[in-house]
Amino acid sequence: MTDSLRLAAACLAGKFAGHLSVVLGRGRGETLSGRVILAIDPKAISKLSSGRDIVLVSGTNGKTTSTTNLATILRNFAGEGVSTSESGANMPAGIAALLAQKPRHRFAVIECDEMYLPEMYRKLLPKVVVLLNLSRDQLHRTGEVRKVANLWHDTFTQDDVTFVIDRDDPFLEHSVAKAGHVIRVSFSGRQHPDAATCPNCAAILDWSTGDYLCPCGLGAKFPDVRSDKRLDGPQRNTVLVIEAARLMGAEIMADEAQDLITKSPDRVSDFLISGKQVSTHLAKNPESWRQALGDVTSDQVILSVNARGIDGRDTSWLWDIDYSKLLGKKVVCTGERRLDIAYRLSVQGIDVRVSESFPDAVESCSDHSIQAIASYTAYQDLLTAELGINKGKSGAK
Amino acid sequence: MSLVIVRLYHDLLGTYGDQGNAEILVHRAKARSLEVELVEVTPGMAVPRSGDVYLLGGGEDGPQSAALEMLKRDGGLNYAAAGGATVLAICAGFQIIGETLPDSSGQITSGLGLVDAHTVYDTSPRSVGELVIQPSRGGLPILTGFENHQGLTQLGSEMPSLGIVRSGVGNGFDKKEGVWHGNVLGSYMHGPVLARNPELADAVLQCAAGPLQAFDDELAQAFAQERRTTLSRS
Repeated sequence: MTDSLRLAAACLAGKFAGHLSVVLGRGRGETLSGRVILAIDPKAISKLSSGRDIVLVSGTNGKTTSTTNLATILRNFAGEGVSTSESGANMPAGIAALLAQKPRHRFAVIECDEMYLPEMYRKLLPKVVVLLNLSRDQLHRTGEVRKVANLWHDTFTQDDVTFVIDRDDPFLEHSVAKAGHVIRVSFSGRQHPDAATCPNCAAILDWSTGDYLCPCGLGAKFPDVRSDKRLDGPQRNTVLVIEAARLMGAEIMADEAQDLITKSPDRVSDFLISGKQVSTHLAKNPESWRQALGDVTSDQVILSVNARGIDGRDTSWLWDIDYSKLLGKKVVCTGERRLDIAYRLSVQGIDVRVSESFPDAVESCSDHSIQAIASYTAYQDLLTAELGINKGKSGAK
Repeated sequence: MSLVIVRLYHDLLGTYGDQGNAEILVHRAKARSLEVELVEVTPGMAVPRSGDVYLLGGGEDGPQSAALEMLKRDGGLNYAAAGGATVLAICAGFQIIGETLPDSSGQITSGLGLVDAHTVYDTSPRSVGELVIQPSRGGLPILTGFENHQGLTQLGSEMPSLGIVRSGVGNGFDKKEGVWHGNVLGSYMHGPVLARNPELADAVLQCAAGPLQAFDDELAQAFAQERRTTLSRS
């Protein structure tokens, strides 16, 4: 079989498998579709990306939102059709399925899992790589934050790719130390909770000024873009996305950029359960929990914690978060690991109860407007559950 | 006189949530109306020599080496341990209190020597997952935790372990997990270990404060029991 025939057969079989998966109610079908494609043509990813202008988006928090956001911005400001996945499928099978989808636009914006980024980087030959942030997440899988940064550091050695990074994150600065072209965005520095020591030389970093500069040289390179210190996580990600869009040819005026930053999307969904509106944040690691807790204003709060693979199987990190924002509020814990979070809160002196299920938790709240924080799979379950919930919608806060 | 709990370098050795052990000890001491003080030691600060309980957590290789060097130079932890202070050291911290361990470049270096334990860098896949042990000392129920480590630790023949592994890896030698020598405890269990094992938390507290009264501890007990039950099924 010739190379192009093999690819065509792989894509056709993949499409069929994907449809079948959807019809049988086994999900969106992307992963199965991609697995079939890669089984028939292991080189499909390289072939399908050849001749296309690809942006890869990776980092711990905000990958899916930023990928969707960047695709939208490119459509609006560069006037291009854009291939992208909005579902968060970010491993090789999902990426293969996305690339195979028709129409195959010249522009493709692709979310990539941190651990698969080196492989996808080599196979996709991207034009631009956006690195949002690196912090603790799924340590049972990644082992250490530093290991991810070192893996990236050893991968990014070529000159023909442009990286867009938040240089205030020392793990990202270390990741691109050998890369040729880097657009460094600074938000005037902020202490990184996982970077007490230098990711490059392990010396203790001095954060007394709110920024880092290691004697080994890490942090010495000047930023290319200086942005606003007051921006939150989703807004910082939008600033990086705008820089990537500009590299891809989008003409975005300063006031338009400001508007995009103000309206930064976040992973918050509103559900209607038992007549009560539950505004639910997706949060899956210490950094995103801190962000989500910062947004809590309601008096009654539901926390839903699972520890399936993608959530991180070790829940110890729940102890790394300061929950004082919840003091004086009524908190209900649910999810498979509700006792882990409930005990942690009780030790901090927070009034806490547990409920067997999310609807039970909502039922036990007297207010009609409730905020919730859910771990990854708990959030996905809410999106797909038939609980008499209206369909959740991700959108601006 | 108040009980002094010293949390050592949690910026460096706080990757896996072990700093929670300090909060749990404070919480459980206060529940018994004991006066308690938490001392936070950060890089550059001297380690107090008169603390009652010293806590070390798990961290990444680079920060582990940095913490070890500072503790060697300072000498405060060794001084306190020699005087009978209680020490609870988890994962990277457990490796630090042993005789030898690999540094961040893989070279064998000397540890603090509080216990006779030798850590080697293991080339097999990282030991990651739930860990269940039968404790070596009486009066404790089955203990559970979550392990995530590359190094394996061999205890000297005279060193009592914290327990015998029922499932998981633990020290990686002779089915042993952790160490409990005098008032010095080491373990590979995160969770944090004292959150998931309230009886162990009280055992550590008792090393420093003597016999404790009972208190209403329903949530901690429910959590510990849920972990034991779930893990015995899998």
